[in-house]
Amino acid sequence: MRLGNQTRMLRRFACAVSLSATLAATPGCVPVFGYGDYPPDGYVATTEPVYFEGRPAYWYGNQWYYREGGRWNHYDREPAALHQRRMQGPQVRHTYEPPRGRPAVGHSGGRPGGRR
Amino acid sequence: MSAPDVRDLPWATLWDTLRRGKIRHMVAIPMEHQTVLNPSKMGTIATLLFGALAAVNCGGASANARPPATAASASEVDEVAAGLTEHHRHHHHGGVTLLIALSLDTLGVSPEERTAVEKIRRDLHARMEPARAAQQKLAAALAEGVAAADLDATTVDAAIAQVSAAAAKVHDASADALNELHAVLTPPERAALVDKVEAHWSVWQKANAEESDPANPEGSRLAMLTTDLGLTQDQVDKIRAGFGEGMKGVPRLDPQEIVTHIREFGDAFRSEKFDAKALNGANVANAHLAGWGAAHLAHFVEAVSPVLTPDQRAEYARRLGEHAGHSNGGNE
Repeated sequence: MRLGNQTRMLRRFACAVSLSATLAATPGCVPVFGYGDYPPDGYVATTEPVYFEGRPAYWYGNQWYYREGGRWNHYDREPAALHQRRMQGPQVRHTYEPPRGRPAVGHSGGRPGGRR
Repeated sequence: MSAPDVRDLPWATLWDTLRRGKIRHMVAIPMEHQTVLNPSKMGTIATLLFGALAAVNCGGASANARPPATAASASEVDEVAAGLTEHHRHHHHGGVTLLIALSLDTLGVSPEERTAVEKIRRDLHARMEPARAAQQKLAAALAEGVAAADLDATTVDAAIAQVSAAAAKVHDASADALNELHAVLTPPERAALVDKVEAHWSVWQKANAEESDPANPEGSRLAMLTTDLGLTQDQVDKIRAGFGEGMKGVPRLDPQEIVTHIREFGDAFRSEKFDAKALNGANVANAHLAGWGAAHLAHFVEAVSPVLTPDQRAEYARRLGEHAGHSNGGNE
């Protein structure tokens, strides 16, 4: 009886390992704990979004991200319209200060001097 | 892996974590519960746990899966975002209204709306002009004081008070422009604006609160100055001590007050009907944010100035003067 319990436990453990390995090998289905990479606040604050399906989307880290219900999601497959938009050029960004705190000549903190 | 306890997170990190929806996967299992787990059930539990995690993670469009970051995107983010952080270290006038105005810089509206939104953006900056002028006066006083190695505390304190007083009037002066903005924008653009205001607030917090944030010592104002001016460790220690002493007299900024105002603004602005005049606490929040930011900057400069060499002093005064000169916040 004791041996049977151990066998069942080993089988379940093997099943769990097998299932986790399958999940890990499935693209887009890797469980992620805690913190992940999303468009950082500094990116969202300085980048023009592309409006798609009634919401703003940001191209970041080779993914299109959007917010839904207060959390970030991304498209597994790039929608054709967003792909087409991306092929037209990078999303516009606004530079407020050059790196290391050296203000740009004629800096205004405002409009598209920072277009990249 | 161990999950962080949210009670241990600094407030800036906690806010950032909550608003970005990253906290839902943090599963804290009290240690005492580990002792009551029956080993014979561990396999079953593990199977169920993995199944649940798979369901959570695959239920939507791969929510929160880690994207493959490219080298190009990483370096671009660093440069532009660092510039925004530096901007938020020096420009506080207008409080949350300034964050709203800055959010218009990258809203990406349609060509049909662009002219109207640009007009509103200029209007907002015009309504903040008294606060901007007060901040410019403070920045100029700091630059001159550093250059002469003689910061006049009375002048600086008066300039800080002027920034706070002027910021207290910004929301009332801007309410019509904000209402007009709401009328011009589409619902997705309103949502994008609110996202950006929250993002600016998050960056502002990191830019101005990181001196006391042990989690980010390398990105602090002092760390940047250490690199840029070649400060010695002895100078850094003296600045840190002097800054801590100087800030003791400054009333603490309550981030919850700003968060509450931003949430109130965000909820109202996302809805179909919006009246900026109905936002309670906006003037107080703006005054506190702008006043604290000005005081934080001033006391930092006051701590830095006495320990600089003549060459470092000249360079630092030049930089402060440049910020004073371009502090028009886009009101070109």
